[in-house]
Amino acid sequence: MAQYIIRRLLQAIPLLFLISVILFVLMQSSGDPLATLGGREPPRAEDRIRLKRQWGLDQPVLVQYVYWLVGNDWVVTDPATGETGTRKGVLRGDFGNSFVTRQPALKVIADRLPNTLILMLTAEVVIIIMSLTIGVVSAVKQYSLLDTVLTAFSFITYSVPVFLMALILMYIFAVNFRKWGLPYFPISGMFDPAKGRTFQEVAWHLVLPVLTIALISIAGYSRYIRSTMLEVINSDYIRTARAKGLSERRTLFVHAFKNASLPIVTLIGLDLPFLLAGAVVTETIYAWPGMGQLFINHLTRSDFPVLMGILMMISVAVVVFQLLTDLAYTWLDPRIRYT
Amino acid sequence: MGKKYLVLLLVLLLVGAVVPVSAQGKSVTVSWTQEPDNLTPMYTTMTFAGYTNGLLFATAWDYDENYNPVPVLLTEVPSPENGGISEDGTTFTFRLKEGMLWSDGDPLDSADFKFTYDMYMSDQNTPLTRAPFDQFASVEAPDPTTFIIKFDQPYAPWVGTLNYKVLPEHILRPIFEEVGTLDGAEFHRQPTVSSGPYVLAEYSPGSFMRFTANPNFVLGVPKIETLVVTFIPDDQAYVASLLAGDTDLATFFPASEVQALRDAGVDVRLIASGYNEGLFFNVSPERGHPALQDVNVRKAIAMAFDRFSISEDLNYGVLPPGSSFWEQTPYENPDLEPVPFDLEQAAALLDEAGWTDSDGDGIRDKDGVKLELRFAATTRQIRQDMQALAQQWFGEIGVGVIIQNYESNVFFNGYAEGGPVATGDYDIATWSSNPNFPDPDTVRFQCDQVPSDENPAGDNWNYFCDPELDKLFEQQRVTTDYNQRVEIFHQIDQMLYDQYVWVNTWYDADLWGVGPKLQNVRLNGITPFFDVVNWDVSE
Repeated sequence: MAQYIIRRLLQAIPLLFLISVILFVLMQSSGDPLATLGGREPPRAEDRIRLKRQWGLDQPVLVQYVYWLVGNDWVVTDPATGETGTRKGVLRGDFGNSFVTRQPALKVIADRLPNTLILMLTAEVVIIIMSLTIGVVSAVKQYSLLDTVLTAFSFITYSVPVFLMALILMYIFAVNFRKWGLPYFPISGMFDPAKGRTFQEVAWHLVLPVLTIALISIAGYSRYIRSTMLEVINSDYIRTARAKGLSERRTLFVHAFKNASLPIVTLIGLDLPFLLAGAVVTETIYAWPGMGQLFINHLTRSDFPVLMGILMMISVAVVVFQLLTDLAYTWLDPRIRYT
Repeated sequence: MGKKYLVLLLVLLLVGAVVPVSAQGKSVTVSWTQEPDNLTPMYTTMTFAGYTNGLLFATAWDYDENYNPVPVLLTEVPSPENGGISEDGTTFTFRLKEGMLWSDGDPLDSADFKFTYDMYMSDQNTPLTRAPFDQFASVEAPDPTTFIIKFDQPYAPWVGTLNYKVLPEHILRPIFEEVGTLDGAEFHRQPTVSSGPYVLAEYSPGSFMRFTANPNFVLGVPKIETLVVTFIPDDQAYVASLLAGDTDLATFFPASEVQALRDAGVDVRLIASGYNEGLFFNVSPERGHPALQDVNVRKAIAMAFDRFSISEDLNYGVLPPGSSFWEQTPYENPDLEPVPFDLEQAAALLDEAGWTDSDGDGIRDKDGVKLELRFAATTRQIRQDMQALAQQWFGEIGVGVIIQNYESNVFFNGYAEGGPVATGDYDIATWSSNPNFPDPDTVRFQCDQVPSDENPAGDNWNYFCDPELDKLFEQQRVTTDYNQRVEIFHQIDQMLYDQYVWVNTWYDADLWGVGPKLQNVRLNGITPFFDVVNWDVSE
């Protein structure tokens, strides 16, 4: 098993290298970081030329990539003074400084990552719990009224665009509840600056964004769970288990559910790395200071160091979660073995 | 499980209801749609960052709501009468107030002014712009309350440029000397001292900044103890927050929301920002459409563009059509009127210019060239709407329109980066532009700013060249007498108007909303917090 894991990790290296090359080249055509610099008017021409030189953007793409990867502290970047560069490169943990905030890219990301994890992990847990409940119930009570209602509900929420869902929830629970004198949810942010970042405050601010993400996502998982549960429930070994007199609960949750969950684990394994990317629309509407908002803000400024940092982080996460998913199979299905 | 979730919701509801609202002195909340990218003035040109760092960095002088200069760190605004400006207009002497302090108690003096200049000009730093510092011939700080800036020639735009935000030498010099650059300093995110009305107390990236009153501020201590700046990127949520009273001051909300805000008791104001949305015509003989070489064709196009209905229908009657590149400032020529909408006259002008529909396909032509114009804009919705309307109006007078849209970071790319406007790959373009507001100067229409392979940095994206206009621009640049300079600009404005190379579509003022709680608020479009010490809140 250990050998297998090591092999998979080694295989990931050329893959990540290839991804980084492709992303870096794509970045070059995604816009010019010097085009607006965040101002309302384009910068002066002489400043544009100076910054291009100072930021090394006047170098060929290949050179820029090499500096990004291994740094430029080993080359003379200014022939006039004989000075070498100051960047260490990604391989030594330096993703460069953001063109926007001038802080190290990793620091910019680290500021936001925990916020996104709070939002997305809570949402994912809610989604899994709700979709498992709905999926299992509608499989066990197939074609019942409950099945129909739950299916209809999950499809209605699934069909609503996320921005609309967010605005509807905000309109009802934040704006109108306040008007009606009911306890209301906050419109924006992660906590009230006057009250500070307490558990209570964050939980309170989480409710609407989590609900938004959960409502539009449960249909996806619950339909999968319903169909795999149905397949398993009708298989021979479940009939055998029932015939041997096992309780319905034990049959369903120990024998049926464990086997039915294999495809779900694949799905979750595929989705988990993207939780790191945050929820762009939801975060923007609720002003949740997460990765989705960060990515969009820095994309509009073509802030390559931060964008590359985010994209490479997600790439690594995809590789790692794929591996974890494969490992989870061995636990769920003893027939699967890796050597 | 579903039941448990509901119970959890209810518990949360109850918990939230009993959390007490803390009340520590007077407090207001200001909201922006964008988070400042950087708090050090040297490293940002972002509007919201400029507003915000005005709370932390004081300047030699500021502007009141009519854009008249008022002294802050100086005893008086320099003038030839008080000896602050030399007779030849090349030397500016700043007389600083005595005994000024940074918020940490360190003295604020002319050394800080000089240090700021040094930091902008050091090649070890990468400030976003070196204007106006790269035009100084020299600076001197002969004593703590005197600072002298010298130029090689008379420097007219001083009112709008020499009042730069001053950096704290005692904090930043040690960093510069140790690291070799100020670029990555933590100070840009967490400034530890302030010379402005407030001090940064807490910064939660992506959420808010909390400021507390600076007891050492030279103009006095603000009445409002706590000022919170929050960031709400979504327009709907932004307006909802102002409507709900969560936000007391906001700006840059859509014109469509103005009525609702006014109905809710929010005081919505139009504040001049120097910006005007206008049509730029590409008059390059090589790159633009040949028809646009003729001023009457440009005039016809301008007349076929209904800026009045754009104002009424797309801007909800909030932003009026304008006539000048310097709309609502002293430099606007008062005799000019917005170009009228007159399709008949527009068609007549095109007929006269020889552009007729000879092949009956509905589009005019001349010498085998069709009058089809490339209309470029960013992807902003209102601009796309304008393009669609223009297609309709121009179609009625037999002018074809090819619509081109670009993301703004592509649209505004320079010539060297192949930007569509800079390289002249358009015939008409629309965007909102301003002069060096509050200074009226601009290089937009100058001959030597026409971009080319030899001059990729050129800013004249109209490719327009008129030596007469150039002369006037040169003349105002060395005119330090205010009234004379205004007079020159009135001439420039008239010439631009008659040439139809840039035509005002609307006066693009900033919309500011002042919530019912905030009292005594005076604003200007450059430094909205210039009078924040006198703001108050009603209980």
